[in-house]
Amino acid sequence: MSLLLPTLISMRRRPGRTLLTALGTALGIATIVALLAVSGGAQRSASQLVDLGASDLGLFQKDAADPTTSILSTGLIKQFDATPGIAGATPLMLLVQDVPRSPATIVFGAPSSSFLTDRLVFSAGRMYGSGPAARNQIAIGNVLAQQLHLGVGGSLVVAHRTLRVVGIYHIGVAYQDDGAFIPMSTAQAITARPGETTTIAVKLDPGTKPAAEHTLLTKRFPGVAVIADGEEASRAGVNGLLVSKAALVIAVLALVIGGIGVFNTMLMAVIERRSEFALLSALGWSNFQVAGRVLVEGVVTTVIGAGVGLLLGVFGAHLLVNVLGAQMFVTPQVTAWALGRALLVGVLIGVLGGLYPSWRAAHVSPAHVLAQN
Amino acid sequence: MSGARVVVSHVSRAYGTAVVIDDVNFVVEPGELVALTGPSGSGKTTLLQMLGSLDRPTSGSIKVDDVSVELLKNPAQYRRSVVGFVFQAHHLLPDLSARHNVELPMLAAHVSRRERDVQARELLAEVGLGDRADARPADLSGGERQRVAIARALAGRPKLILADEPTGSLDSVASMKIWELLVATRDRHGTTVVVASHDATLVEHADRAIRLVDGRIVEPGEPQPATERVA
Repeated sequence: MSLLLPTLISMRRRPGRTLLTALGTALGIATIVALLAVSGGAQRSASQLVDLGASDLGLFQKDAADPTTSILSTGLIKQFDATPGIAGATPLMLLVQDVPRSPATIVFGAPSSSFLTDRLVFSAGRMYGSGPAARNQIAIGNVLAQQLHLGVGGSLVVAHRTLRVVGIYHIGVAYQDDGAFIPMSTAQAITARPGETTTIAVKLDPGTKPAAEHTLLTKRFPGVAVIADGEEASRAGVNGLLVSKAALVIAVLALVIGGIGVFNTMLMAVIERRSEFALLSALGWSNFQVAGRVLVEGVVTTVIGAGVGLLLGVFGAHLLVNVLGAQMFVTPQVTAWALGRALLVGVLIGVLGGLYPSWRAAHVSPAHVLAQN
Repeated sequence: MSGARVVVSHVSRAYGTAVVIDDVNFVVEPGELVALTGPSGSGKTTLLQMLGSLDRPTSGSIKVDDVSVELLKNPAQYRRSVVGFVFQAHHLLPDLSARHNVELPMLAAHVSRRERDVQARELLAEVGLGDRADARPADLSGGERQRVAIARALAGRPKLILADEPTGSLDSVASMKIWELLVATRDRHGTTVVVASHDATLVEHADRAIRLVDGRIVEPGEPQPATERVA
């Protein structure tokens, strides 16, 4: 018999109460895991959107809900070009849910020649042209081509507009190989936003430090969010921020509500089992050992709940993405760190909820209780 | 192992204005089996609890092998290493086997799992329950449960056993067996035993009896207080 055995036996004595307490913890933990997985997936998506090529900085509209809803004037490009430290700036229009045959595909509106598109390696055909004749042309990634069984000369409908495939490229970035590029003017026509873009990609002069340029651009263009990496991209989006904050709020709520549940359960157990704790005290158990026994019961209950919650959370993350209709852009990312954090919350719930009951158990007067019996 | 010497000097215990123990003095020599007798409410249990450091005297001192029990800063350590308790209600944990119940004091003392198992089986064999080690309390008779409680009190080989009405809920045959077991324990290990009991027949088996009435020791031949005569 170890110290844990009497604890497990005591929990088995009241299976209904133990299960309900564990279930309450499980739901809180599941919510945390799901939100962390979704925000992690959103962050990764944002990271990939920023990493569109050889750009050093991505510029988005400040406080946009997410990178795809950002709106910037293409007129800014000239100003950026003239800013010290910048080698070049090019617009990039993000179109989502516009390919009916493949809703997850992202279509990028971009000039035919820029430091972003010059990196595309064509396995068939070529890049679209730059004149008006190119407005119905499209270059597609090899993954998309394979998925839709398309080749050069084929056609693809984008937002009710039939475009002719002129080239198939591969670049090694999942979003782009599963996506497509169209002329900037075509993208603007589809979105009815002439003279606007969602993003401006910036390439810095060799020797220019991104952090210094970041500060300079932020000061000079206060309405623009300057993003240097994926994490910033997710933070820049209001949706990403909301998800992150929601995860924090849920974690705190889970701690409070779960803690109250464990507190209530353990306190009832202590009151019911006063004679047991009095006996242990009479047999030489120290206050610390008696308190530890109650605390361990609380922690074991919540860790069981947390274990179930982790599993529920993983499934819940996919469910949440589907319910939000974001499955095209966000793949829930369940990391060991996210699971570890959720488990930590579970342990904290057990500890916080069990503190007072364990103190009560440790201070049961053996003389009074045993004499009453 | 020899038993403990117990010296009780001018011990009183009051709860508010109610005096439960009133200026009690006595000495129990090592290896002695002393019966505390007296009617219900005479203070036997309170006195035992103070000897076991479950309660503290309002005044006076209790020395067990020159250790002032009322001044102990770590009573758990004292209860773990010096004292073994046997209660009227056996107080066995119902979900644990007899062996696991006997192991409870050893758990507190951080005895290794293997050692606990060996000692618990030995102690159960000593009280005649070697073949019932894995039985739950519900599967044992009243006498057997009390014997498990005695085996538990012997865990850690205490110098002083404090038994509070250990036969109070048993029939005469089972009661006699429990007394024989306490006497055998004293004889085998030299343990000092203090037993609170109002069973006059059994008390005859003790080396000596200390009679308490209304919280005071009544010497043989001394006039009985009014409450005693009425009872």
